[in-house]
Amino acid sequence: MAKARAIIKRRKSVQNIKKITRTMELIATARYRKAQERATEAAAFTRKIGEIVKDLGGATGEVSHPLLSTREPVRRCRLLVITSNRGLAGGYNGNVLRLAARRLVELEAEGIEPILDISGKRGVAFIKFRGLKAETVYTHFDDRPKYDEVEAVAESYAKMYMNGEIDRFEVAYTRFISVSRQEAKLTTLLPMSSAQLTMAGATVAKKGAAAPEPEPRSGEQIPYEFLPDARSILDEIVPIAYKAQLFKCFLDSAVSEQIARMIAMKGATENADEMIKGLTMQYNRARQSQITRELAEIIGGAAALE
Amino acid sequence: MATVDSSKTRSGAPRGAASQMRCQVITPEKTLMDAEVTFVAVPLIDGEMGILPGRAPVVARLGFGELRYDRAGAPRERLYVDGGFLQIRDNQISVLTNRALSLTDLTADSARAELERALAISPTTPEQFAERDRAVARARAQLRLAEAKGSL
Repeated sequence: MAKARAIIKRRKSVQNIKKITRTMELIATARYRKAQERATEAAAFTRKIGEIVKDLGGATGEVSHPLLSTREPVRRCRLLVITSNRGLAGGYNGNVLRLAARRLVELEAEGIEPILDISGKRGVAFIKFRGLKAETVYTHFDDRPKYDEVEAVAESYAKMYMNGEIDRFEVAYTRFISVSRQEAKLTTLLPMSSAQLTMAGATVAKKGAAAPEPEPRSGEQIPYEFLPDARSILDEIVPIAYKAQLFKCFLDSAVSEQIARMIAMKGATENADEMIKGLTMQYNRARQSQITRELAEIIGGAAALE
Repeated sequence: MATVDSSKTRSGAPRGAASQMRCQVITPEKTLMDAEVTFVAVPLIDGEMGILPGRAPVVARLGFGELRYDRAGAPRERLYVDGGFLQIRDNQISVLTNRALSLTDLTADSARAELERALAISPTTPEQFAERDRAVARARAQLRLAEAKGSL
């Protein structure tokens, strides 16, 4: 009975693992919904900002702001990698870290000094393994990044950029495209491009939840009154647009993380199911062969007595 | 954010003859308030602005202070807004702000502490001066509101 019992033990442990992965899947699903909701709500802000910038653009012509000016040559580049604090999320962390590692090599080849910042414990573990050094580490961003926290981070980078400590600021994060598609993406936040300022519309949009605003009769400019004047509004809106962008990176990453975990755990549950089936079959076979053997022994014994 | 047919208000009245307008307060995290209102007062950078339905299009910078609005048949409501922008177009008011608090969340003590902290900064560069002025203006606005709250 030794072998059959071992199989039963194994099956039991697989069943327990299945319970865990199944629960994790459910939790990830619930968290994903919440994260998605937050991302959708946050999209309204970026969209409006983009709208105002567009409105202003007509009035001020060329946009100039310290955060928009590009620098040549670029000597130091800061790279922020957004990963998760927790594992078991399939390829989520691996993809974004691979992208970041590639980018580091690229930057060094271009003669730019890269400075690495990491958000998330998984990323920290990775760079430790790789023997790299991270300048700053953030581990307080979870599946619900708060704007105040992101703002503080964004501000510190903006300050560094304005002081000339860094010439570029890039973020490697996981962009949310749809439930079935998220990709690791590298984006340059500083210097900002004018396109980034107005591109607010391309945010996480739940299907049907946010129909695009009817374009206000293109060509015909709305005759806005600017208080106090267009330039000062623009000076004020650029840093806010930049912060909103970074916030969006964090929100996107949070949504993507939950989806990645959901899918990974779904796969794990299915695999456990399959394994249980296989083990059950093995067990039945082992049991049957044991019975057959015992019968053969009895029959053999009886035959010997005759 | 839901979209609105810009040629009509939600009540179906044609534009221009509207007695109501739509007002949204949007923060980076979510849309805090979205309602039909009859009057709004917003704190601009250089003073307060009252808005009635049918206001001409405006884009403006907000200061720190109190946002008041009236809804038909409801008592006046107040919010504290922490800078940001205002956009009015087609009888639709959008207030974009980093932070908006209901007055009940504002306490005189915390505002006073913030004011003290802001006044304690000793700036050396123009940016730091601007930052300090901002922090002081903000704390003063909070303090003013928190103190006025009791006498309303």
